[in-house]
Parts: sequence; structure tokens; C-alpha cells
Amino acid sequence: MPSVPRWLRRVISSPILLTFLAITLGLVVGSFVIILTTAPVLDAWRSLFHSWGGPGHAIKTTFDYVGAAYRDMFTGAVIDPNSLWHSITTGQSWTSTLTPLSETLTYATPLTIASIGVGITFQTGLFNIGANGQAIIGGIAGVAVGSSLHLPTIILLPITLLAGVLGGVLTGALPGLLKSFTGAHEVIVTLMFNYVANLILLFTLLSTPLQQPGQGNDISRNLLPGALLSPLFGTASGLRVNWGVFIAAGVVVVAWWFLERSSLGFEFRVSGANPHAARVSGINPRKITILAFLISGGLAGLAGITEVAGTTHFIDGGFLVGSAGIGFTAITVSLLGRNRPVGIMWGALLFAALGVGGRSMQASTGIPLDLATVIQYSIVLFIATPVMVQEIFRIRSRATSGLQLASQGWNT
Amino acid sequence: MRVELRGITKRFGSLTANDQISLTVEPGQIHCLLGENGAGKSTLMNVLFGLLHPDEGEILIDGLPVSFANSGDAVRQGIGMVHQHFMLVPVFTVAENVVLGFEPTKSFDRLDRKKADEDIREASRRFGLQVDPDAVVEDLPVGIQQRVEILKALNHDAQLLILDEPTAVLTPQEIDSLIEIMRSLKAAGKSILFISHKLREVRDVSDVITVIRQGRVVGTAQPSDSEAELASLMVGRDVMLTVEKQESAAGPARLEIRDLVVRDDRGVPVVDGVTLDVRAGEILALAGVQGNGQTELVEALAGVRPVESGSITLDGQDITNASPRRVLDAGLGHVPEDRHRDGLVLSMSVADNLVLNTPRHVPFAYHGTRRRAEIRRNAVERIRDFDIRTESPEAAVSSLSGGNQQKVILARELSRPIKVLVAAQPTRGLDVGSIEYVHRQIVKQRHDGQGVLIVSSELDEVLALGDRIAVMHHGKITGVVPPTTSREVIGLLMTGVSIEEATNA
Amino acid sequence: MTTIVSSTTGALRPRLRLSRDQVIGTLAILLGLFTMWAFALGSSSRSNSQLTFDPVNTSGTLPWHVGNLTLATRLTCLVAALAIIAIGAEILIRRPKRAVMVRFGAAAALFFVAILLWAARTHGPSQVDFVNLTSVLVGGIAPAVVLTYGSLSGILCERSGVVNIAIEGQFLGGAFLGSLIDSVTHNFFLATLGGVVIGGLLGLVLAFFALRYQSDQIIVGVVLASLVISLGSYLNLQILTPYPQYNAGSPAPNLTIPLLAKIPVLGPVLFNENGYFYLVIALVLFISFGLFRTRWGLRVRAVGEHPRAAASVGINVIRTRYFNVILGGMVAGVGGVALFAWQGQFQPGITSGYGYIALAGLIFGRWRPSGVVVASLLFGMSVYLANNLQTYQVPVSTSILLMFPYVVTIVVVSGLIGRVRAPAADGLPYKRD
Repeated sequence: MPSVPRWLRRVISSPILLTFLAITLGLVVGSFVIILTTAPVLDAWRSLFHSWGGPGHAIKTTFDYVGAAYRDMFTGAVIDPNSLWHSITTGQSWTSTLTPLSETLTYATPLTIASIGVGITFQTGLFNIGANGQAIIGGIAGVAVGSSLHLPTIILLPITLLAGVLGGVLTGALPGLLKSFTGAHEVIVTLMFNYVANLILLFTLLSTPLQQPGQGNDISRNLLPGALLSPLFGTASGLRVNWGVFIAAGVVVVAWWFLERSSLGFEFRVSGANPHAARVSGINPRKITILAFLISGGLAGLAGITEVAGTTHFIDGGFLVGSAGIGFTAITVSLLGRNRPVGIMWGALLFAALGVGGRSMQASTGIPLDLATVIQYSIVLFIATPVMVQEIFRIRSRATSGLQLASQGWNT
Repeated sequence: MRVELRGITKRFGSLTANDQISLTVEPGQIHCLLGENGAGKSTLMNVLFGLLHPDEGEILIDGLPVSFANSGDAVRQGIGMVHQHFMLVPVFTVAENVVLGFEPTKSFDRLDRKKADEDIREASRRFGLQVDPDAVVEDLPVGIQQRVEILKALNHDAQLLILDEPTAVLTPQEIDSLIEIMRSLKAAGKSILFISHKLREVRDVSDVITVIRQGRVVGTAQPSDSEAELASLMVGRDVMLTVEKQESAAGPARLEIRDLVVRDDRGVPVVDGVTLDVRAGEILALAGVQGNGQTELVEALAGVRPVESGSITLDGQDITNASPRRVLDAGLGHVPEDRHRDGLVLSMSVADNLVLNTPRHVPFAYHGTRRRAEIRRNAVERIRDFDIRTESPEAAVSSLSGGNQQKVILARELSRPIKVLVAAQPTRGLDVGSIEYVHRQIVKQRHDGQGVLIVSSELDEVLALGDRIAVMHHGKITGVVPPTTSREVIGLLMTGVSIEEATNA
Repeated sequence: MTTIVSSTTGALRPRLRLSRDQVIGTLAILLGLFTMWAFALGSSSRSNSQLTFDPVNTSGTLPWHVGNLTLATRLTCLVAALAIIAIGAEILIRRPKRAVMVRFGAAAALFFVAILLWAARTHGPSQVDFVNLTSVLVGGIAPAVVLTYGSLSGILCERSGVVNIAIEGQFLGGAFLGSLIDSVTHNFFLATLGGVVIGGLLGLVLAFFALRYQSDQIIVGVVLASLVISLGSYLNLQILTPYPQYNAGSPAPNLTIPLLAKIPVLGPVLFNENGYFYLVIALVLFISFGLFRTRWGLRVRAVGEHPRAAASVGINVIRTRYFNVILGGMVAGVGGVALFAWQGQFQPGITSGYGYIALAGLIFGRWRPSGVVVASLLFGMSVYLANNLQTYQVPVSTSILLMFPYVVTIVVVSGLIGRVRAPAADGLPYKRD
């Protein structure tokens, strides 16, 4: 490189920049999807050669639609500058101005928790693809407790959350135990259990006392008022962001301390970086595997119950369903954050913003929410290949560490 | 076929692995490339074999310049390579391995196994390399596997055979038989380029010796030159070929291994009733070619592999089938054979690697929390005491040279309170300076009254260091002899001959 | 440095001392005991079960007519249970080297028969008191066909050293595109072609990320599969819902082989299937032949076991892997179309984890086409049972029943991985110096 100043060179080769570039590329992919699936834009491109103004029209239409879509995403997820200005100058409608941010934070809360759980297992060299199933079971357990025990909030809420954690812990125990005692590859076990968990959800919602009394559908009972994570600014404010954000923040801090400062966390990281050396150095691989899955499952379960206690207050058959379910998004967020707690927090905020923004975009332009998921996955695909992003943008990077998990196949 | 390398230069970033290297192999000549570990021999061979492209220089075959896009080209030009780490597919048969890439086929791309078998038997006969074409390679002993490698190269009509450190895995008798094979290949008109750092063999079989050091050719030598002359050419200074050691003052046994039976991954008892003692203040060297159970024995000692029967006792404490944690805490120091896989976490810092097996111990941790200041202080001290060359204690250990990485492992083990040090192949892949350092440290342990068990397939090292030498073959100890025993006797013990027969031979 | 002889996995192998045979044998015995308790003892001594054999969907009359078979439920189930236990015992005692899978398959088959007999017994809660064995076989084969495509795809990819977790996504892509094409053209041949294209494309993407950029293959696979599934959902809402004419497909017609289809019981099962059945059988034979008897197969396997060795004789590892992964993707894509051809209509959840089950089948079948067929039959039958046992008013909730194939997969995977050898370089990135 010709005389590029040293500080600039460092910035250019930093992992953070790569992340930004991956995000950009993901948005580009999203643009393509929008172009290819929005009728007016397609029409504009189809008539590309019909007139001299064809190309210009096509490009303008593209920019209009894509721009509108992404603008709606931004204002839906963060803030609408007009609205902000209005609120500042008139002192009114703060609610509608702050709602996007509040929504993003609300969505980010359980997502952060689940993603940190997934990130911890990734750092240990294990793949927890079952966070979705663990979150579902955690949600069920939490609702079971939180909808039936009539206790004061100060006891009921912690117990409800704890029940969620325990639900996740038990679910996480399955792949953990199977892997450490039989060598069963956790990818298949966790993937399969996601489907099982979905069915357990249906079962409990239709055939057990958990079902909403008087309802034939797959809806659960409501959480008692004492088991709710109430909105930060009170229900009257209309802002949904709830006390769960503090839980999420707490999880981030504890996870950071655990991984970076505790001995057990060190053992986790060593196991992830080199399982052979870990074993020879006296680290017990079984203990680590089981603990990692218990922790990860527990966090996923906590995410599940936090979602319920903070927002919906009940669960239905569509809880955390499909590939947009928290468990899968958590994987992508964790990869985006390079499996580190602080990075994961930012990643969760970004993806929550994409999700919330996507909803808003759907409302105003009709583009379905799944586009946001497509963008998320594209970003992650690009993140998983820092080399490729570098090539596209012609950068040389410093150590592209952190993402190369102990690459292994089925052989243990 | 005359092969000439002219001015070959190859760089890896700032490191110049080969610097203007020129040498010529005449037809029918056994030409040795001599150099210590890290001198650049492998790089040069990879260039010659088409696996790497030289930055400068050229390769000429019979006077005409050639260039190789990949090793397929090199093979087509008549260059065959027998790699140090065999390029054989374990689950394939001998025949499949030999014909791979040049398979005889029938219609529909079907493999012509009959023809393959015939071709192999024919080549076996011609060159004196007996193998069974239908045997599965992973079931074969190492010496036979090497023959398969050679057959593979010959099957490609190689005129120049490159042998990369071929004797590393052979018993002395197998080495003799390999030398015979080399001579008969030479008689059949083939040229051989033979890479080694073992002075004895080099002098035995070469016609011409090219010595390389730190990437450059430093001279051409004759087999008639003395070992000392060759060694000093190789290393650049006068090399002490022996280790300074005081008289042994061995005390009571600290590590007692009794009738140990250990099975490998396939259920075969690779350690078959081993009984050994390692005494205080002595170095017990376990000699033997790799693959006779030494690796599994060390793994069993370290607690990494289960013991089927027998016992291991350390200063009276039974550590049979103990977990690695318990074994380490009981006072066993372990320098593993594969330092990258088992000894270090390459992506982590030097400081972290120095406390890798004591992360919870005071003073490095306190109630489950790591104390980074202590860890750092420890690292600074060790780096100083052991002269570990590294940018900083926080540098990733992958940035260190092989020798310094081994120093990290040694520093880690030797600064714990250990009773017995088990070091498996401790100087493999190291340059002479590091080898000397490791040997000194091992002798120091002995001097301080610890027991040392060193496992090595380098006979020179075993003879230099061992106060007693135990020889292992097919899982059994064939004899425990003093270091004054002749190499021939030890060689016979390595092939399974009993001690009476060996000494009477 | 290791020569081939030294041990490497001893450090991490789980310490249970059971071998694959022991695990399978024990599983069989447990299965037999469960059969005895739940089905033999679980039915009253008065109950009978009736097996019928008339195929439901053939045209024309049959020259042979197999009459119904009435069996005493408890006795038959008891016999089945004992047979299963005997198989398990034989495996444990005699430790056969080969055909362990086939034995377990036989035990599983007996188990399935016992379930059906028990479910359809008279004097039980069921209104339907017969089991049409022919329908059962036909019904079980349909998902088995789809799973076989998936496992074959896995074999092609993993034998060359690349893990393909994205089969689920390739299934979905094939199902979506196949359904779209069929709705528009009513031509299954073109639909299959569509599956080939989309599957190959996805295989290309996987290969690209795994080989060129050496990303972790499992992560790329999961992300790719999830991406495709989200895309499918998105497109379903954007295109298929507002324009239902693009989702107006129908199940693929059966191709009847004239004389053979009239063989009782087996005829309709084997010779009256849709084109995808015949195609998958051809593929199994083709791939078996290709992998183990041809030069191409030898090279592929070399690349999957020891890529450096292959490279050192001039085989282009990267190109071989690209080829195989794309080919594998194509096969999976066709499997997706087969899935649609079976169901008749596309919906977002159509793949239901079958792609991942196919992976388990791959491992169960030891990366061989013959083994994979047995595994697919096993899983396919469990899918069929899960979906159809409700007709017999079995006293188990539907949701629980539907878990069956997934639980089976978990059990299979726990019992068998770590004791079978995948291609040695499977999943490991190949770095050229």
C-alpha cells in the first residue's frame, strides 16, 4: 500500500470495519431481493429498452423503492428525524417518537440473552443450534409457574424467570449429556429437538391445563400480573421497553466477566480453541461440555420467558416459530458479534433493529418481514467469510481470528 | 536424467526460506541434502516437486528449463517424492494407493484392479520391494508403508526419487534394508535425492552431499568427511555432539509402571505388559521406532488414555487411570509429543499457555477468578529464566519458533513442583541450538533429583541422554541396557530380538 | 508429525466402552421389551388384528387376490417382541461384522408391524380395525424416497470431504421451484430440472464459501439452510399467496410397470410408484457403482480421506470437491421436488427437518448408499407412522406422535456416532500451502 498513514491502515484492517462492510453487503443483497420481488420495480426494469428514458426510469424506480424500504426500516427501528424534531419543539407525542427505539430495545432484550448463550457454546467449540427449542421450553415452564402461583411480584417474578431458566437448562442438558457420554453430534440432536420442542408446545397448549380456559385454540393462560416484566416508563407511556433490558444488560456483563476473567471461562475458551490440549492440560471435557450446554440452555430459556413476561404475556402456537425464531437469530447474532459478549450485544441491537424495521417496512410498503431475515442471514454469511469481504473491498486484515471455530466434521 | 536447481529462491513474507540455492543431481547418483531442522530443506523439495513456486531461479531437466504448475506436472516429468509424512490413504489398499492418480481403467471408467495388482507385483520384483497389493495400508507396519510410497513413485516412472527424511520412522535394520533398496534403485539407473539431518546415514550411502544452512548452500561435502566436519558445516559452528552429564546417582524409584496393558483405538493391545521404573536422579530413555506403543504408553501415563490392566505409581501414589488433572497435580510433568495439538493453544498468549494446566491454582486464580497480574508476572519471569524469544508475554504463541514454543512447554512443566518429567520426542523438529537447550534442561532436572522419562526415536539422543535405555518393540520392553551398549545391539532389540540373542549376535 | 500408525483420537473419545454392535444390540433388546410390554401385554387376549393387502390406487383388476389375514394381536405382538429380542441378542453375542444394519432394520420392521397391529386391534379404541399392509408400505416408502435423496446428497458431499448441512435448504428450494414449475407447466420433467438447477446453485454457494474461503462448513450450512427457508417463507407470501395459480400443483402421477405391478403386496409397492422412486433407485445403484468401482470414485474418496495424498499425485482437490458438492446439491434439489411430488402442494414448512434427518441417515448408513437406503426406510416408516397412527385413535396426543421421527433420529445418532468412521477429512478445510 502506498503511503497510507499508520492509523488509517489499522482502522482499515480492523475486524470492526469488516463487520460494517459485511452489513453493507447484506443490505445490498436485500436490495436485490426487493428489486426482484417488487412488481413496480420489475416492471421498470422490464421496460428498460422501451424508451430512452428506460434506464433512468429503472434506476430511479429502484432507488425510490429500495430507498423507501430502507428508510421505513430505519425510521421504524430507530427514530424518525421529523418526528423527533416535532417532539422537541412541541414537547408532545414523545411516545410515537420514541416507540421505534423502544421496540428495538424490547426485541433486543431476549435476543441478547439467547445470543450470549449461543456465543458461550461457540467459544467452547460446541454448536448449540437448539436455542430455539430451549427458549420454547423455557417459555412454557415460565408460563406454567407464572400463571398459576398467586404470590406477590417480588417472589413471583424471580420464580417465573427462574422457571424459564430451569426449563432451558433441562433442555440444554439433553445434547450436553448425549454429547459427553455418547459422542452424539450436538448439531443433529439440537436441530431435532427444535422440532420436538415445537410439538411439545402444541401439546401443552392444546392438551394440558396450560391452555387458556374456555379457548379451543393453542393459546396459553396469561401470566399473572405479578409475573410480568413491566414497561420501564409505565404502561401509560405506550413504550414497551421493559425491565428486561436490565436483565439483558446484566447477562452481558456477567458473561463478559465469566469468559474473560473467570477460571472456568478460561477452561471453556481453551476447550474451544484446542480440545486436545485442553484435555491433556487437565480440563475435563465432559464437565465442560455439559456445563456449556446447561448455561447456554438456561440463557435461552431465560430469553424465552423474558420475551413472554415482557411483551406478549402469554404464548401461542406461533411462539418463536420458524427460522425467524429467536434461537436461529441468536446464532447469527453471535456470529456477527464474533462470539464475544459485547459484540453480541451490538449485534443483537442491529438485528433487533432489522426485525423491528422490517415490521414497519412491511406495514408501509407491503414487503414481508422475511426480507429482514434474509438480510440478517446474508450479513452473517458475509461475516463468516471475512476473507471474502476483504477481497471484495481489497483490504488486508490482521488476524481474522475468532470466527474459525474449531472446524470439525462428525469425527470427535 | 539430470536434474539441476539453479538459483532457487523462495520467500514467505519476510522469511527467506531458500536463498539462491543451486545443486545438481547427476543420473544414477545418490545425492544427499544435509541440513538441520529449519534449514529450508522441505521448502526446496516442495519447490522441486511442484508444490511450491519459486520466486526466483529455475529447474532444469536434462538441460531444459521446466516449470511445474502442480505436483502432477513434476510427476509427469519423472520426479517422484517419498514424503516424510506418508501420503497414503489409510483405508485404501496398497494397490489403490499405488495407482491413485494413474489408475488403469476398463470401460465406463471402471478400475482395472487385476492390472493394478499385476503391475505392482512386477515392480515389487524388479526393485526388491515386497508388498501385498491387497493389504489395507493402515494395518501395515511403517517400514512396509514406506515401501508402498516408493512403489507409488516408481509406478509413475520416476527417474529422480526424492526421499524426505526417510529414516525417521525406521529401526536400524529397516534403515539398512532401505539403504539396500536405494543402492538397487541406483543400479537400475534412478537418481536419488535424499534429505536428512542424520550424519551417520548420510555418510553411509551418499555419493555427494550438499549442505544447506538457513536457506543457503554452504558447501558441498564428501561422504569421506568426518561427522564433526559435516556437523559444523550444517550448524555453522563447532557442535558438541555429546551432552555434558555427571555420573548418575540414581535413588529410589519415583515412577513405577507395572505390567501395563493399554489398548489403542481399535482395541489392539499396543502396550502389552510393560514394567519400568524411573528412579530419582536418573534419565530413563525409552528407545524404539515410533509405532511400537510408546505414544500410547505416554498417553496412559498422562491420564489421557485408559489403562486396561497394570498399575502406575508416582512416589507411592497410584495414578492408574487417573484423570489428567489428577496426574498433573500428583506431580507428573508432561511434554507431549505433538506440541501443537496437545501442548499449546496456538491462538492464545504465551502467558496463558504458561499457566495452561494450572489455571485454578493459587496464585493464578483466587476463588475462581483469574488474577491477571500474577499470570503476567509469572510469564515475565519464565520468559527471562528460559530465554524465550517472544515479542511480549501477550503475544500469541503461534508467533514463536518451534524451539521457543518447546521452551514455553518446558518452562511450564519445570516451574511446577513435579516429581517426574515425561518428555515425548522433545527435540523433534527443533534446530540444533534448541536441541542443546532442551537437553541441558533435562539433565538439570536429573541433577535436581527428579526422575526423567524421555521417549525418543532418535538413537543418538537416547544414547547421549539415557542413564538406562529401555527398548520397546510391539508393546513390550525387549531390554533395558546401559548407554554403553552398541548401536547394533540396540537396533536388534528394536526389531524384537530378545536381549540374549542380541548380545550374542 | 504423525505417520499413519499413531493414535490421535484417544484423547477425546468418550469413555463408554461400548462398541457399535453392543449399542445396536442393546437397543434392539430394549425395543423388544417395550414391544412386549406395550403391545403384547397392552392388548387384551380377545383382540384380533386384520391385515389386508389390496392396494388402494391401482387401475384395473388384479389377477391375484390376496385375502385378509386375521391375527391374534397379543400372540403376534409377543412373537414379534421375542423375535426382536432374539435379534438383539444375536447381535450382542455373535458380534457379526457385516449386515448389522440389516438386522436392526429387521428388528425395526417387526416393531413397526407390532405397533400397527396393536393400534388396529379389535376391542381397542380404534374404529378402524384393519391394517392395509400394502398402503403402509407405500406410505412409508414415500418419505423414505425423499430422505434417500438427501442422504445420497450427503454421501456425495461428505465422501469428498465437505459437510453439507444445507440439505434442508436444498430440499426447500427444490420443493418451491418444482412446485412453481409444475403449477405453470404441469410437467414434472421440467420441475425436476428446476430442482436440479436450484439444488446445484445452492451447492455452488456452499462449496464457494467452504472451499474458497474456508468458512466453517457446519455454520455455512446452517446459515444457508436458514436463509433459504426464510427466503421460501418470504416468497410464499410475496408470490404464492397473492397468485395462487403458482401453487396449483398436484402429486406426481404413478408410473406403473405393467406386469410386475400385479404381484401381490410387493407389486404395487415397488412397481407402481412415481418417477422419483425409480430415479432414486437408479441413483443409489449409480452412486454405489461410481464410488466404489470407478476411477472417479477412488479419487473422490481419496480426496475425502487424505486430500494431501490426493494432491500429491496431481488430483485437484478443490475441483473434485466443487464438483461433488454441486452434484450433491443437485441430488438434494431433486429430492425437494420429490418431496413436493409426494405432498402435492408447497407450503413453507414442507421440509419439516427432513434434510437434517437425512444427515442422520447418512451417518447411520456409514456413508454408503446401501446403508443409507436402510436408514431411510427406518426413518421414513417412522414419519409415516407419526402421521397416520391418529386414524387408529391411539391414546397418545397427535403432537406427541409427530415427535416420533425426531426422537428416533436422536436415539440413532446417540447410539452410533463416534463409533463409525466418517471420511477422515470430512469437514476439515483444505489448505493449500
